[in-house]
This record gives sequence, C-alpha cells and structure tokens, in this order.
Amino acid sequence: MSIVACLKWVSHPGEPHDERFAGMSPADQSALEFALRQAALLGTGVTAITVGPSGADKVLRDALACGATRAIRIEAPTTAAGTDVATAIADHIADAEWVWCGDYSLDRGAGSVPAFIAAHLGAEQALGVIHVDLEADGVRATRRLDGGRRELLGVRSPAVVSVEGATARLRRAGLQSLRTAADTVIEVVPATTPIHRAEFMVRPYRPRARELPAPAGDSPLDRLRLLTDAAAASAARGEMVTLEPADAAARIVQVLTDWGYLPHG
Amino acid sequence: MSTPDVDVVVVGAGPAGSCAAIVAARAGLSVVLLERGPFPGSKNMYGGVVYPRILDGLIPNWWEEAPIQRWVTRRSTMLLTDTQALTVDFRSEAWGQPPYNGATAFRPDWDHWLASHAEAAGAQLLTDTTVVGLLRDAGGAVTGVRTDRPDGDLTARVVIACDGVNSFLAKEAGLYEHTDAKHFTLGVKETLALPKEVIDERFAVRERHGVDIEILGGTGKVNGGGFLYTGLDTLAVGVVLKLPKLAAQQQRPEQIIAGLKQHPAIAPLVQGAELKEYSAHLIPEAGLTMMPKMTMPGMLVAGDAAALCLAAGIWLEGVNFAMASGMYAAEAAVEAVQKGDTSATGLAGYQRRLSDTFVLKDHRKLRRAPELVLSDRVQHLYPTMVANVVERMFHVDNPNPKPGVRRILDQERRKAGVRRRDLLRDGWTGFRSFG
Ligand SMILES: Cc1cc2nc3c(=O)[nH]c(=O)nc-3n(C[C@H](O)[C@H](O)[C@H](O)COP(=O)(O)OP(=O)(O)OC[C@H]3O[C@@H](n4cnc5c(N)ncnc54)[C@H](O)[C@@H]3O)c2cc1C
Repeated sequence: MSIVACLKWVSHPGEPHDERFAGMSPADQSALEFALRQAALLGTGVTAITVGPSGADKVLRDALACGATRAIRIEAPTTAAGTDVATAIADHIADAEWVWCGDYSLDRGAGSVPAFIAAHLGAEQALGVIHVDLEADGVRATRRLDGGRRELLGVRSPAVVSVEGATARLRRAGLQSLRTAADTVIEVVPATTPIHRAEFMVRPYRPRARELPAPAGDSPLDRLRLLTDAAAASAARGEMVTLEPADAAARIVQVLTDWGYLPHG
Repeated sequence: MSTPDVDVVVVGAGPAGSCAAIVAARAGLSVVLLERGPFPGSKNMYGGVVYPRILDGLIPNWWEEAPIQRWVTRRSTMLLTDTQALTVDFRSEAWGQPPYNGATAFRPDWDHWLASHAEAAGAQLLTDTTVVGLLRDAGGAVTGVRTDRPDGDLTARVVIACDGVNSFLAKEAGLYEHTDAKHFTLGVKETLALPKEVIDERFAVRERHGVDIEILGGTGKVNGGGFLYTGLDTLAVGVVLKLPKLAAQQQRPEQIIAGLKQHPAIAPLVQGAELKEYSAHLIPEAGLTMMPKMTMPGMLVAGDAAALCLAAGIWLEGVNFAMASGMYAAEAAVEAVQKGDTSATGLAGYQRRLSDTFVLKDHRKLRRAPELVLSDRVQHLYPTMVANVVERMFHVDNPNPKPGVRRILDQERRKAGVRRRDLLRDGWTGFRSFG
C-alpha cells in the first residue's frame, strides 16, 4: 500500500520574493498529516514528493521530520505550469494507492493539480475535502458544496484526495527526527516530460463591480438595511434542476447574467 | 555518564550564538544551534548599526559578502531640548572604504548570514525550536537542554546560552544574583521607507555611505535617548527608554517616538517617510552592575544573555560585544571539550578571554557611563543648560558686546538649577568614563 503526499514549496504571500519565508501551504500541511495518519493506520510509510528547484527540499525535509519515510524532488523551475506538475508527479507515482494533496496552494490557488493527477492515474478523486475519516478499507470524505451543503463521499483506492487547510493540524516534528531529516538523502529526479513555466497567474474570482442606485430609506439604518439586504428576503433562490451538461452550463450563465455577475449579451 | 548527543549546544542564533557555533564547528566539534524563530534573525531587532571589526579573523574580508545596507561615514551626536538642537558631526571618507568601520544592516539579513556561516562550518541549525529548560545532573552541572519539541531533550558536553536579554537559561541556572527593572531600557524603533535619492540628499551622503545619529534628549520626561540611522532606502528612528521612568510617566513608547519625529531638527529628515515596521526589545543597560556569573559547570553565557551590551550614551554597541563573547565562549568550550574537563575550572578560559579583551575592558572603563547618561541631571538639566549657552554664544545682540563664555555658563547653570558641585562631579565621572 503506497501513500504519497504532494507538497508544494510556496513563497509567503506577504514576502513573495524572500525564500526565507517560503514553505508548505496550510492545505499541504493538512494533506501530509492525513497521509501520516493513514500510513500509521495501514502500517506503511509515506512518500513526500515535490516539483521544484533545490530550495523546495525544505518542504521535503519538514515532511521527513514529521515522519515521511521517503522524499522525492522532481527538478523544475519555481513557477511550473500546473498541468506539467501533475504529469510529472503522476509519472513518478504510477503505483500509488492514496495520493494526498492540499486543495490549493497559497501562491496560485487554482486547485487543479490534484484533479490532473487523478486523471493521469485514472484514480478516484475527492477534491476540496473539509473532513476526513480514515478507515481500514478507504476514506470517508466530506466535501463543501455551494449554499452550505455538504457531500459525503466513500473513497476507495487508488484515489487522490485534496484537503482544505483547516482540516488537520500538522504534527510537530520531534527533535531527533528533525536532526535526522536534515541528513536524509532526498531523491532528486528529472521530470519525464518537459516542464513549462506557468504562463499566467490564476487568481480567485472577483465579480466585477456593479453600479447600484443610492438607497432611499429615511434613516441611516434603513438605508444600510437596503444596501446590505439585511432585512429583505433573499432575491436569489436555490433551485434544483436536472439538465444535460450543455443546458446546465447555459442555465448557469443565464442566472449569473440575471444576477449581474456577467454582462448582458 | 552516557555519551552526550553532541559536543556543544548553542541556544539562540543571534550574533552571539552564530559566532559561537562557527568557532566550535570549525574546531571539529559537533554543534547544534537552536533558534526559536522560523529563521535566524526573524524575531530579532536592534537600532541598526554594526561594528564588525571583530569578524576580521573569523570571516576574512567579511565586507565583500556581508548583507550591508550602508557604510557609516558620518557620525553625529545630537543634544535636543524642546526647541533647540546641538550637533557634533564627524565624517570620514576612510570609513567608506575597506576595511570599513560601522555599517547599517537589517537583523534578519545579518543574523541569517552569520548563521549560514555556522552551517557551512558544519553546525546543525534547527529553527522553530525553543529551548524551555536546562538538563542538569545530580551535582547541578548542565548536561543539555530541553526544547519544546516532542522527544525534545538534547544532551551536550557544553551548553552556550546566547538566548538574548532577560536570558531564561541564565536565570534558571541561578547565574543572575538579582535582576531589577532599573537595569533595563526598552528600545523601540520605527523603520521608515524613503527613496534612496531622498535619503542621500537629506543626509548629505552618496552611494552606499550612511549616517549614524545618536541623540540625547528628545524623549520628554522619560529618561533615555534616541537614534536615527540610514538604511539604503529606509530610516531607523527610535528611542531607548528607562523602564521605571516609562512606567511612572504612563507614556506609550510610540508617543515618544512620535514626539521625537516632530522635533524641528528631526522632522525635516523623516518627512514623508512611510512607516514599514514598528518593533521593540529590551536592552540590558546597566553593564557591569548587572552582569551575571558567566560560567558554570557545563554552561557558558554570552551576548545579551550575559548583559554584555554596551549602552553608554554615545555608544550603543551590542552586536560586536555579542559576536566577540560568542567566539570566546566557543573557544573556551573547545578547550574544555578537548581536555575532557567541562567543569567551571575547565571552562575558565572564557572569563579570561573576556577580561583580556575589549569586551570587559570597555565595560570596566565605561562602568559609570550608563548611570550617568540616564541620570536626571544629564537628561533634563544639562541639555537645556548647554543648548542655552551655545545659543547665547552665537546670538548676536548688538549693540551689546559679546558676553564671555564663562559668564554665560555660570548664568545658565544657575538658571537651570544645577549646583556647581554636581556639575563638577558629573564632569569628573564623565571624564573618567569617556576620557
Ligand atoms: C532598540 C535597540 C537598538 C539597538 N541598537 C544597536 C545598534 O545599533 N548596534 C548594536 O551593536 N547593538 C544594538 N542593540 C543591541 C543588540 O541588539 C544586542 O546587543 C545584540 O542583538 C545581542 O545579540 P545576542 O546574540 O546576544 O542576542 P539576540 O540578538 O537577542 O539573539 C538571541 C537569539 O536567541 C533566540 N532565542 C531566545 N530565547 C531562545 C530560546 N529559549 N530558545 C531558542 N532560541 C532562543 C532569539 O530568537 C534570538 O535569535 C540594540 C538593541 C535594541 C533593543
């Protein structure tokens, strides 16, 4: 049973050009913690893997100090494209049964790498998970859905699970393992396919600003209520529809247009 | 006794700790350097000027690689009253060339750089690791440290405590006989951003040349002093405040910095600068008066942990004293480990080295200076008196003739309420300290 934790060496958002602040994203820390817990449950080890330059060894050493048993770094530039990263990882962990990832990294945050890895491996995927129950024969994962809903998934191996940052707190490495990790050999391997630099930055979606008429209430409180919709019944209703994918996409676009998030026409 | 995990554990990767680790590791000992911050220097602050001459032997031509902001080629001492400023300004082109004198540097850069030399020498640096206590044997000798990590004990032949001011390790070991708030000052600093060209123009410097201004007065009713240093595109402006006075006056330190920045002599220098960082830290101010025992079986204490910072008015030097004491502690530790005697006698080489070098010689020479500089007379009476004397000397009051300096001095002394006896006594103390 092989368990892999995929870890990315990211710069700190407040200090993007200073490597001294770089390290693992909170989501990757959660992923590593689940990998370690699962390995303990199943009586096996964890392989920590990263794609990046030599500075990225830091996250692997941190993982080794916490209990990972093997560390692999695939040589690549810092800003490698997500699809290439996923391909490179998948090529090196073809026989992995459980692959744990953070749902998105602090720096670019598209969350696409786990999905690409799953596609490459032909594995099940549970992405953006907020709660994990580890079992001897699989994983029960809770996913966050829109509108505060939750989805419960029973996941069987081979599978890729990506977890949110607050899902688990990474254990504190012991002093002796920290010392040993500093001397452990990290396997540095070339990527099997070319790795390109990411061409664009993925940012969180920011709806464009909408112009609203000034609120007309008598008192400041009334105007505030009107502005914030605090007292009014929500205009947007949840609606459950069953449609073909193309129709569903068209419907979503239509609704977003009606709500003002997309321009008309 | 079982074999210790390592020969030397150094606690704290500040200037003292890293220099200690470099020396011990280069001598072939196994060394672990423990630092509570995520990287060396990440939690550390100071005013901003280092005097690294002591590194000449340790890192030859250190100036070619050290992370320097500017080389100090102008040193000013400023005396402030509410509306007046008297400045003694010195500049030397020689200080802007190798082997240089003082330099401004950021602590996260400086400490990180020194620690990287310790690692290169073979010391193992473990960050994010706080030492929470000492391990002792039945006889009380220190045998290692306990950290906050699981499985966190580390045994060593010698522990070098470089954990900075208010050292918990030195206190736990009972090396401080007594500590008193009056022995400490609180240093607070603002780092302000300004374009390099603006700094060059305002401070009359070029290229990588920079300025160190030490300030007496400007801290209102709270006894202390101030400083203003130039980084490449930043300024460090701060105050050092006597703790009991600060508490008694119920003033916030940031208000005192704000007051200093508004002083007519300072305001034009910092005008338009953007606040980047505010930081604060204690300074062991009292020198010899507060120094602990620095050696005990299995342990040495260096740097601020041993109150070795020199804070004597026109001199605020801690980093060079820390680096030197760290080096000397490690040399003594190496000797002791090689001889197989880490008892207090085996480690006595440390105290000898401190006594024979500038570290304790300067402290002995300047032992009365901290108290004198922070005394009420020097803080609140003399600046006004001196500034008024100078003002009257340069004030042209025609048709009256120029008055004699002695007469002005005497009049201003009486106006300021300074007794001749006190003036003479303080002058003598100052002369003996600084002369
Ligand atoms: C406001 C201010 C201005 C100053 N200006 C100057 C100046 O311009 N020039 C100058 O030369 N000096 C100056 N000093 C003094 C100077 O900063 C100190 O003397 C010097 O930093 C002492 O070095 P150190 O290595 O002994 O201690 P520190 O620099 O304090 O380093 C101690 C290290 O130990 C670590 N540590 C502490 N406890 C533990 C623990 N339990 N476990 C693990 N790690 C621990 C800390 O994180 C830190 O890295 C100034 C000080 C202040 C506060």
